[in-house]
Amino acid sequence: MRKLVWSLVFFFAASITASAQTAQELLRDGNGGSTDNVLTYGMGYHQQRYSPLTQINRKTVKRLVPVWSVSLANEFGEQGQPLVYNGVLYAANVKRVVAVEAATGKQLWMTPLEWDAAVARVVCCGLSNRGIALYEGKVFVASLDAFIRALDAKTGKELWKTKVAEWKDGYSITSAPTVANGVLMTGMTGGEYGVRGFVAGYDPETGKELWRRFMTAGPGEKAYETWPKDDAYLRGGASTWITGSYDPELDLTYWGTSNGGPWTAVPRPGDNLWVASVVAMRPKTGEIVWHYQWTPAETYDFDGNNENLLADIVVGGTKRKVLIHADRNGFLYTLDRASGKLLAANPYVKVNWAERIDLATGRPVETEVARKLRAGEKVEVQPRWTGGKNWMPMAFNPKKGRIYLPMLEETSVYQLNKDLPVYKAGERYMGVTNTTADRKPGEPWGYLGALDPLTAKPAWRVPLMEFPSWSGMLSTAGGLVFSGLPTGEFLALDEDTGKVLWQFRTGSGVNAQPITYTINGRQYVSVLSGLGGGTSSRRGTTGKVQPGGSVWTFALMAD
Amino acid sequence: MAGSKAPGLAAGIALAVLTATASAQAPGPFLKEQVKLGADIYERNCAPCHGPRMLDSQVPVDLRKFPPEQKDRFITSVTKGKNQMPPWGGLFKPEEIEAIWAYVMVGEKQ
Repeated sequence: MRKLVWSLVFFFAASITASAQTAQELLRDGNGGSTDNVLTYGMGYHQQRYSPLTQINRKTVKRLVPVWSVSLANEFGEQGQPLVYNGVLYAANVKRVVAVEAATGKQLWMTPLEWDAAVARVVCCGLSNRGIALYEGKVFVASLDAFIRALDAKTGKELWKTKVAEWKDGYSITSAPTVANGVLMTGMTGGEYGVRGFVAGYDPETGKELWRRFMTAGPGEKAYETWPKDDAYLRGGASTWITGSYDPELDLTYWGTSNGGPWTAVPRPGDNLWVASVVAMRPKTGEIVWHYQWTPAETYDFDGNNENLLADIVVGGTKRKVLIHADRNGFLYTLDRASGKLLAANPYVKVNWAERIDLATGRPVETEVARKLRAGEKVEVQPRWTGGKNWMPMAFNPKKGRIYLPMLEETSVYQLNKDLPVYKAGERYMGVTNTTADRKPGEPWGYLGALDPLTAKPAWRVPLMEFPSWSGMLSTAGGLVFSGLPTGEFLALDEDTGKVLWQFRTGSGVNAQPITYTINGRQYVSVLSGLGGGTSSRRGTTGKVQPGGSVWTFALMAD
Repeated sequence: MAGSKAPGLAAGIALAVLTATASAQAPGPFLKEQVKLGADIYERNCAPCHGPRMLDSQVPVDLRKFPPEQKDRFITSVTKGKNQMPPWGGLFKPEEIEAIWAYVMVGEKQ
């Protein structure tokens, strides 16, 4: 009898495992796994946002039509990337997580994310949630008030909830969590509030914190030599507000870090590791194996958070495992992702704070503009503090060897204040006066473009005259690149020319992350629509574009 | 001193009492210290979205054009929050929110 009971236990345990998405499936997502699923932020641990699907292609895209749309009842903006598993699409915004049938849009469950309205005081630049993680039957989501929770993927019921940090001290979370090597990880944000940035690892089963790796070095660490010998590191910024990528073979997870705290570097002389950097960590422990700092002694609000895309490309005749990153500081970098060695760095937009990145030292060669700025003068800086590219992720087509990205070209008027800011928990900690320089008539806001990652030379660039684009990109083997505009158009561009082959106006601005997948052999494309999520993405749209979140899903018109 | 720069007041203000442009709806009068306090609070907490000195606003509100006769709406919106703006009532005392009102009404109009 006992034997029978144990057999039944094993049988049911095996059934649960079979229906719940596994570590093996995570490894194969975007890496030869089933195109029926999209299981990771970035459509693969490498965050290439590339799909081998070809049903929707340059010839057929004219038959692409919406097959369903559902409201997300959210006016704060949609930046999230949905995930798909076993025919269910999961999407999140700052207010809720929803699960719907991916083929029909029929809602299966909805779980609200409740937070005190006052939390918005400590969110610098827009109330947002960029997505979720899936692992072993659970949906993981972080809420704006810096809690992380696990929901039952079948019902949406909360299984556990863990406090990551205290929002009243300036901490919040807007990024998607991720699971790598069995560890659930989250970043945080708050770089404008004098926080000490970190990445934290959790047990996905229980929510127990396993480790917390701070991103400003403290006493006892070698990198503390890059900080003044006081407690500036405790308020030094380096928040981690974009999900890290992961290389399973090297077992390294790559996280970018934000601006320093306060914005003015005057009270924190030194390079300030690991501010405005990429750090390569072990997901099991949070140990930092290597780092590279994009902007030493950062004082421009050049966060280095946005995606660190992993690819294998030929460099100098040899195939290399690289990390590609288009930083807010205006340079496009390629690093060896095993060692962190700099392989290439070139400006991809107008840059005036540094003339180049020295390949031997890995450091920027700052210009007279930077010298004047650091001396307290009011200067015009390119890129504007929002960067040559902000959080919205690029895509990489491994067959073409190109990246596809939105680029921003604006100029700030920037000055470090004479009076140093005084730290108060949960309040702005900046010490800078910054405005936007007027654009010259006829100058674009920026571009959608295709660049060579090693030279930053464009294959094509489409100028954006009405508004800039704050949308992520998706590349497919069908020869298409998907993206969006603040005016609501969801676009399919020819990957070789940038020509708009197809467009559809969704209900609000598209500043999110499109995905593509299959159900029963039919290719679908889904994207969230809803202007905002980032304050800067709404500039100039007053009265021209209405907010309001929804999910849109497209497929080729059936015969 | 916390973010104390108040450029609109830098030229020195001769009058102890400030008023908005002469009209039947002119708010105030406001004390110079009140406007200065409002400018300090504004610069630190409001300027990141509404722009330094209410210029280069990042959000769809131009505070320079806020109707002087709608003080109650201003106080309520700041205290309780509105649309994407968080409630500030938990951080600032009523007299501090009054000071922000004073700054918004007259602080950049001299």
